[in-house]
Amino acid sequence: MSNQAVNGLDNRPVVNRTGKVKGSSNVSISKYVSYAFLLILCVIWIIPVIFGISTSFRSQTEVVSSGFRLFPETWVFENYVTILNNTSTAPILRWLGNSLFIATTHTILVVIVISITGFGYTRINFKGRDTLFFTLLGISFFPGVVNLIPSYKIIDSLGWVNTSWAMIIPGLAGMGNIFLVRQFMNGIPKELDESAKVDGASDFRIFAQIILPLVKPILIVCGLFSFTGSWNDFLWPVIVYTDVDKMPVTAGLLLLQDIYGNYRMIGQLMGSAILAIVPTLLLFIFAQKYFVQSINLNSGIKG
Amino acid sequence: MKKKFGVVLATVLMLTTVLAGCGGKDDSKTITFWTPLTGDDGAYMDQIVKEYNATNPEIKVKHVITADMYTKISTVLASSKGVPDLAIIHADRVPGFVKQGVLEPMQDTVLPAQPELKAENYLPQAWNTGNIDGTQYTVPLDIHSNVMYYNKDLLKKYNAESFLDDNVVTIDEMLSLQGKLDEGDYVVNDALLGWVILAQIQNLGGDIQVDGKPAVNSPVFKQAFEDVKKIADAGLMTPFGEDGYLMFQSQNVLFSTDGTWSSTAHAGVEGLNFGVTNIYSPTADKFTNRSSSHLFAMLKNDKRTDEKEVGIANFLEYVRTNSMEWAKAGQNVASNVVNQSPEYQNYMQSFFTSNEKEIESLYIYTYEYYPYIAEAVDTYCADIVRGNVDLDETLATMQKFVEDKIAESSSAAK
Amino acid sequence: MKKKINWAPAFFVGPHVILFAVFILLPTIYGIYASFTKWNLMSDPVWVGFDNYKAILFDGKSTFHTQFFRGLKNTLIFVGLSVPLLIVIPLMVAVALEHKKVKMKSLIQSILYIPGLISISAAALIWLLIFNKQLGITGNLFGSQIAWPANQPYAWIIIIVITLWGGIGGNMIIYRASLSGVAQELYESAELDGAGSIKRFTSITLPSIRFPLIYTFVMTTAGAFNVFGQPLMMTDGGPRQSTHVLMMYIRQLAFGNGESIAGMASAMAVLLGLVILVISALQYYVMNRNAT
Repeated sequence: MSNQAVNGLDNRPVVNRTGKVKGSSNVSISKYVSYAFLLILCVIWIIPVIFGISTSFRSQTEVVSSGFRLFPETWVFENYVTILNNTSTAPILRWLGNSLFIATTHTILVVIVISITGFGYTRINFKGRDTLFFTLLGISFFPGVVNLIPSYKIIDSLGWVNTSWAMIIPGLAGMGNIFLVRQFMNGIPKELDESAKVDGASDFRIFAQIILPLVKPILIVCGLFSFTGSWNDFLWPVIVYTDVDKMPVTAGLLLLQDIYGNYRMIGQLMGSAILAIVPTLLLFIFAQKYFVQSINLNSGIKG
Repeated sequence: MKKKFGVVLATVLMLTTVLAGCGGKDDSKTITFWTPLTGDDGAYMDQIVKEYNATNPEIKVKHVITADMYTKISTVLASSKGVPDLAIIHADRVPGFVKQGVLEPMQDTVLPAQPELKAENYLPQAWNTGNIDGTQYTVPLDIHSNVMYYNKDLLKKYNAESFLDDNVVTIDEMLSLQGKLDEGDYVVNDALLGWVILAQIQNLGGDIQVDGKPAVNSPVFKQAFEDVKKIADAGLMTPFGEDGYLMFQSQNVLFSTDGTWSSTAHAGVEGLNFGVTNIYSPTADKFTNRSSSHLFAMLKNDKRTDEKEVGIANFLEYVRTNSMEWAKAGQNVASNVVNQSPEYQNYMQSFFTSNEKEIESLYIYTYEYYPYIAEAVDTYCADIVRGNVDLDETLATMQKFVEDKIAESSSAAK
Repeated sequence: MKKKINWAPAFFVGPHVILFAVFILLPTIYGIYASFTKWNLMSDPVWVGFDNYKAILFDGKSTFHTQFFRGLKNTLIFVGLSVPLLIVIPLMVAVALEHKKVKMKSLIQSILYIPGLISISAAALIWLLIFNKQLGITGNLFGSQIAWPANQPYAWIIIIVITLWGGIGGNMIIYRASLSGVAQELYESAELDGAGSIKRFTSITLPSIRFPLIYTFVMTTAGAFNVFGQPLMMTDGGPRQSTHVLMMYIRQLAFGNGESIAGMASAMAVLLGLVILVISALQYYVMNRNAT
């Protein structure tokens, strides 16, 4: 039998959009249904993106003139020129660099933390282990909105104000990813551990050489989400940073509002937003191949 | 094996904390200057700061633009660390800050250091708004107002140019266009409608407070809303939920009640021939442009040395004489030497400092709880004016809204 | 040998516990403390006991009571509308993607995921322009006269649209990854037994990905309760505050105009937290019980 390849066999069950059964053994119809569904979705999804990109090449005059055109009548590069030239109050390339640094470091640390912590909650036995886990989980569900001031005070006392560490470290405390990793690790048979222990392996050895390779898929997924989450955070950086130069790009974009909080130079905002997603986009496209080829969450996913 | 990993981890964490501590600068020779001037405006202030620093002062100024500045100010004040030496705040924050005791008066060290920083050299209400109980806390940068732009071409088209004759467009004049506009054209939009309403309060001779208590559910408020509502009822106001500002730019609206700061944006739209005048009024005798002011202020900060305060004075004096750059942002520069200069008359907003009456029309609300009232008005005005909600009921709700917030605010607790 | 057990937990679990204690526990405790005070963020909090809670929960005339319950209701509406769609649509996408064997999978996946990377302010501007009567698609291509942000149910529709646009990517990735691991043999033997598509889906696919389903269901719900950006940017809580969600009220109280009313905001946040906690626990419990 073929192994569980990522590309499914044609007679996988498919439920179409209205939930009707489409000729259960008629392969080609369900294939076309899937195509149609995905095509429609993709068109709807991508038009706004195209619109955003094309608006970034429009002059303000064209933006406000009536009628809808997907592509600009006159392609204008001014917006990008202004954005890239503005290195004092809106240094977007600098911001991109900051975001990259912060998000990458954060993600690497997240992966380290969640893997050792997940291991600790599943493979190390100690009293109150599960109670501890679920208590922490419960506490983490409280909305952190008014924690801003105490969080700031803590960051301040650590001397991290206006530094990247304030962006990188606090996020490591989250429980969501650990929950996933823990669940995943619980699905890895303990026999593997046992046979290693018989050979005299230490906890750490088991962790590094047996468990870690098996949890790679989930770590990749968590890594992706951490990266995106860190990248998209804009409320906290505004509070933490005082130097415009040090800001990450999503917070920096807020500085393009006028003093009353409106975005008036629409073309410019679009241009900045487009520039802001270029790195993550490239990263995602590149990392995708990795997902598609190597993810097999079967070994971990159990109830 | 485990030890190695442990060592690595420990080193990483240690490096983290060590590196975090690094990166401090010598702050004693720099004035940290925070402003909420995001967008293009920030660039002009930046320019002014650069030019000042180029004169090689003893203490240079470091300009930090920030979104959400007031939240940041709260956080640094709460932790007493990282408080900026100088900041630009809005006029409506002054009473609250003074009551909290977080502002240091300018008159103690800064004003004496530069004697030209005085009331006579600035627009009166801009200076006075920083004066609480006889103590001067701030020095003004500008007055920024709610103003009314008009589309010259559309005015011509509809024979409405005479509205501008007495420099005040009355509501009756606007109503006279009823039925005469093309489909899709409107007389006025609802930009900054809340401010327009607040301006009408002054035009009707009323106020937002009585004996220090908020008076939102009052006859004058009712009248103000009803007057503006007439325009919407006649179908002359841009429809609810549509972006009136963009509609003005796309030349479908005769008048736009937005702010002094949008003149540069409007100038960027090709084919838009526009001018500026006062906000409309129910009567030809009085017109008001609700305004606020950007003020230089010093937050309480133990680490600010006397030297720095002199440095601040020097910077403010420089700004007083060199803020023509700020005019480019479209604001009414508060410094008289600038707003009375010939060069300034080239800027559209000089209209508002062209004579006594105009200057008087720039009204700044200084009531302590003004922000809550403004918030209530902003929340409900669009619906009231469109007739979507009952006026009396809503005024009562707004009154309660403001009273509840005042009751909860810390100053009430004291 | 027993000595090992003593420090292994500390080594593996310890670092995270410390991080948690410092960056989540402490601020949360302070936040709960703040809910019993009157606080304007600048000076010290003043203890008022249960006053805030009394006002919110029991004083029918208090503005805060109205705000809390209206906010909660709107948040619940948002959760009810968005969560099912945020689960079902990505699931269908993942199933459809598993079905074909063409290279376009990566392209499709990227297209569906990218919107989640665009900043909310830019995204809102784009969608507001699209729904704009004069400048957008709805007005020009479909001749619609609706002013979307100003009328219900259109206001909710545009908020949900932008939420889905940016939101389905995440769950889609999780489901795709989970589905790809379901054993082929299961499907094959089921088909031999004569099971139709639907039966295969419900008896094999769904149970096999039960855990990711539960996980995404709980996390998406909790996330939806915290919604703030979309209603703020698309409708600013209108029309007539019918889309004004609880988190917006909380932030306004704490960081809005005038003096901050952070004590009251904290109380609302604590109450919201309790709601989220209860609902998440219920979800987890119910879904776990419906085991085999």
